[in-house]
Amino acid sequence: MTAIPIQPPLIQLSGVTKTLKGQGEPRPILSGVDLTVRAGESVAILGRSGSGKSTLLSLIGLFDRPDGGQYLLHGRDISRIPERRAARLRSQEFGFVFQRFFLLKHLTAMQNVAMALVNGQGWLPRRKRRAKVMTALEQVGIAHLAKHRPARLSGGEQQRVAIARALVREPRVLLADEPTGALDTETGALVIDVLHAATDRGCGLILVTHDHAHANRMGRVVRLSDGLLVPERAGVFS
Amino acid sequence: MGLSGRFRSALVIGGQGIRARKLRTFLSMISLFLGVLAVIAVQAGSVLANRALLADIEMVEGKDGTVVVGVPSGDRAPAAVLDTVRGRPDAIAMMSTSAIIGEPNLTPINPGGVPLRYADQGGPPVTMTCTPQGVCYAEPQESPPPRGMAIELQLVGITGDIRQFRPFHTEAGNWLDFAGEPSMSPRLVLNREAALAFTQYQLPAEMRIGSAYSGSADAGSPHPTPRVIGAINDGNQQPTAYVRADELLNWLSASAMGSQSMTIIMSPAAVTVGPTLRAKLGPELGNQLYFRTVDSRERIGGQLDLMRWIFYGMAALVLLIGVAGILNVGLATIGERVEELALRRAVGTPRLLLAGIVLAETLLTGLLTAAAAVVTGIVGLQAAGYFFGDKRPSLQNVAFPWEAGVAGVIAGLVAGILGGLFPAIRAARIPIATVMRA
Ligand SMILES: Nc1ncnc2c1ncn2[C@@H]1O[C@H](COP(=O)(O)OP(=O)(O)OP(=O)(O)O)[C@@H](O)[C@H]1O
Ligand SMILES: [Mg+2]
Repeated sequence: MTAIPIQPPLIQLSGVTKTLKGQGEPRPILSGVDLTVRAGESVAILGRSGSGKSTLLSLIGLFDRPDGGQYLLHGRDISRIPERRAARLRSQEFGFVFQRFFLLKHLTAMQNVAMALVNGQGWLPRRKRRAKVMTALEQVGIAHLAKHRPARLSGGEQQRVAIARALVREPRVLLADEPTGALDTETGALVIDVLHAATDRGCGLILVTHDHAHANRMGRVVRLSDGLLVPERAGVFS
Repeated sequence: MGLSGRFRSALVIGGQGIRARKLRTFLSMISLFLGVLAVIAVQAGSVLANRALLADIEMVEGKDGTVVVGVPSGDRAPAAVLDTVRGRPDAIAMMSTSAIIGEPNLTPINPGGVPLRYADQGGPPVTMTCTPQGVCYAEPQESPPPRGMAIELQLVGITGDIRQFRPFHTEAGNWLDFAGEPSMSPRLVLNREAALAFTQYQLPAEMRIGSAYSGSADAGSPHPTPRVIGAINDGNQQPTAYVRADELLNWLSASAMGSQSMTIIMSPAAVTVGPTLRAKLGPELGNQLYFRTVDSRERIGGQLDLMRWIFYGMAALVLLIGVAGILNVGLATIGERVEELALRRAVGTPRLLLAGIVLAETLLTGLLTAAAAVVTGIVGLQAAGYFFGDKRPSLQNVAFPWEAGVAGVIAGLVAGILGGLFPAIRAARIPIATVMRA
């Protein structure tokens, strides 16, 4: 019997806190979140509106840093890394999908996807860039729309361009914040299909959603309430 | 790889940004263009004015650094002066007297050698009489000869080529030839005003040396026949003729020689002239020597500077409006680009790179605008010289002053930095989470 090398989890949050310091009283949003996500795992996060789901995702995606607690990525503490390194990690480890698609309207679908490759982190020659972009567009099933600008794409198509943009750098994990929020049920299901297909290729997925049906297609479901994460339905790992 | 990857990414992102806002970029360039053009116009104008003014002053006063030595009159003075400068390439001597050219026994058109346009404004000819005590008074000549075809002019005798110190422009004919034996028929080079008199009035070539005022224009004064060989512009309003000093001296009486005050014009390198001259003059006259160094640039500098600063102030205002325009457009654009910039940061673009791109876009706009304005300035100046050069000689053959080009580029740079810095700082501060809340 051979020893299986113990890989550190991809993402490990322990006791993560975030307090909002706007005008007036500081308001705790996250008050000790624990979350472990292993490579290739898919997790759904449920929660009331305003419970702090987006805030949590922005900490995981290194848009922002936690006030307290620890964030390990591949076992390394990145709770307080400088912005320069955070930018590199965002580029290497994460892909982002948002409720609104955020495509640049003066660029074609291809150029919008290529945007993630033209980010000052390394450089690919034009032809390689093009090949990667086309692969990503094929993965989301809209390679035939590569030359179209966003104005000529439907909502579902636009969101798939956004997913291709998130996938083009082959991230370890996709962070999706209500990706179906602006779409009708049918189109939403299609988008979840596309995300699901990505997890089948080994990419992790953290999905924030209000839709139980979508959540139930993930490996594990957790709920954010009162600043804490509680398991809703256990997955195979926990 | 790392750096070039950043740079190439920056080029692509910046290019996309500019292409997405072509019209707006163009419009913001217009106001800056006018501002930079104003700076260039002021700078070019002041350089040209300075140059024109200095050129005129140089003709009259001498080039900056030229040393002018005033030698008091005295019996030994002319010989000493001529002796001192003889054979020297770096110093010349000059003496001047007045002369009347034209029909004999007439009062000149311009008594006193005044410029022709004032010729009719003088009173009747007068005779200066001095008492032995040194009190001089003027009294109208009792029966002045009738006025007629003669002009009075200043006759300047020189021992060498004065143009090395005072850059006259030859306008017709030749300049004096200092080689060879002096001629008994003095060769004259007229200045503009004198030449004008010759063309307006047909003057017989007979000359009386000495002024109508001094009373030496009497029957006894010599009557050489001069030859006019050329005309120059010497910047002087008074009718003047230049003549070889030795040709003039042939006709000066001994008493006129003794009362002649002389001037030496020399380069600052001619250091031996002073001591030599002092030795030759003896202590009494030698101590009355008067040395002056021409420093026109410094003296006119003050007057021009004030004008220049006033115009700079105006140009700066125009430029400021241009900068405000670019700044306005830059900030408004950032407002619109918040989402794009947040998104680019979300996908891993370093914020310094984004700030740099925003700054570079404006800077590039500023520099391109400045370049366009400089090119316009160069073309404009050439066109001005081409079309108006006939009427305004100061516009002829002027090279575009490089100071104006530098001023324009600096102005564009400053505008680009000012107009791009604030948007760049704002761009760097956009929170990435914007993409989740929008
Ligand atoms: N920039 C901000 N300024 C002020 N309050 C903020 C800001 N960002 C978040 N909040 C507050 O923090 C709390 C959590 O916000 P968050 O966006 O994380 O909630 P959410 O769970 O994603 O909600 P939803 O499901 O509506 O997207 C909310 O009460 C919100 O008002
Ligand atoms: Mg949210």
